[in-house]
Amino acid sequence: MTRTSSFHIARIASLLSLAAAVALAGCGGPKTRYGDAGSVETVTNQFGSTDLQMLAEQMTQSMLQAPVIASGNLPIVTTQEVKNKTSEYIDTRAITNRMRSSLQKSGRVRFAVDQAEMQKQLDELNRQQGEQYDQDKSVQQGRMVGAGYRVTGEITSIVKETKNVKDVYYQLFMSLTNIQTGIEEWSETKDIRKTTER
Amino acid sequence: MKASTVVAVTLAALCATGCGTKKGFEKPGFAFGCPIGDTKISTMGDLVRAKVAKEGGQNPDVELEEIRCTTTGDLLKVDVVVFNDESDVERLMYKFRWSDAEGMRAADEETWKPLLMYGNSRQTVTAIAPNPKARDFKFIVMGQE
Repeated sequence: MTRTSSFHIARIASLLSLAAAVALAGCGGPKTRYGDAGSVETVTNQFGSTDLQMLAEQMTQSMLQAPVIASGNLPIVTTQEVKNKTSEYIDTRAITNRMRSSLQKSGRVRFAVDQAEMQKQLDELNRQQGEQYDQDKSVQQGRMVGAGYRVTGEITSIVKETKNVKDVYYQLFMSLTNIQTGIEEWSETKDIRKTTER
Repeated sequence: MKASTVVAVTLAALCATGCGTKKGFEKPGFAFGCPIGDTKISTMGDLVRAKVAKEGGQNPDVELEEIRCTTTGDLLKVDVVVFNDESDVERLMYKFRWSDAEGMRAADEETWKPLLMYGNSRQTVTAIAPNPKARDFKFIVMGQE
């Protein structure tokens, strides 16, 4: 065998192994596809998208039946913190945000700016008082409307685990309180149980 | 005299029975309180067939027994009675799809909700329309893997 032909064989072999590696990577590599955002997700038994969506939807439906909201008087509500008392990280604001948008779309509730957004609201309000702005077209100070009701709540969990079974129970409690009187006008608890067996 | 009294009492009883049935108070375009449009609905079975849609490949092995509707304020409220007549546990998913008076979608698609049905058990699934525009609905059900 000449030196040139052995060089060619080695080159072909390396090309073939490279092609095989590419093909294998293509077959076994991760695939990305769009899924149904509303489907039931059971990847793990930690708090997941289905839990968030289901709790927000059920709470919204319950709240829509509260007499102060069903009356059609368009109460002004502000959302406060939903405390996370579970052992895992849960963005509880995602629950209240989802509820807020559903309640607004119902046309039964109006929302006043909440504590978390207050600084942004004040910054914009103050910015428009600057001399750069046409004051006839700027918003005026002292016209903000306070909420008559506040929504608050907490989420708790109980986790039990053995070698083969993990059981997680979540409970979301929410309430609507009249800020003037302190009277709780509505409250609801919704719960979820998830069990994983090995 | 006695015969006429008996006839009068019987007639009054019949009238009261007739007036007391749901059918007697049903508005046109409604059956069991639920909006039906022009669909001919004479039994609960007809209503269930008109309002329930099964999606996905796995049909859940449950019976949808009853659908009843009412209103809370100006929002439609729906109760669906699900019956698992088998002795095995059945897992399914459901959601409501809301439409307005013109048949257009009245709200965003709901999320699928899991439902665990023990053997030989009944559960009532309740939903409230998301807004006053939602005048009609479909109950969508799918088997869960």
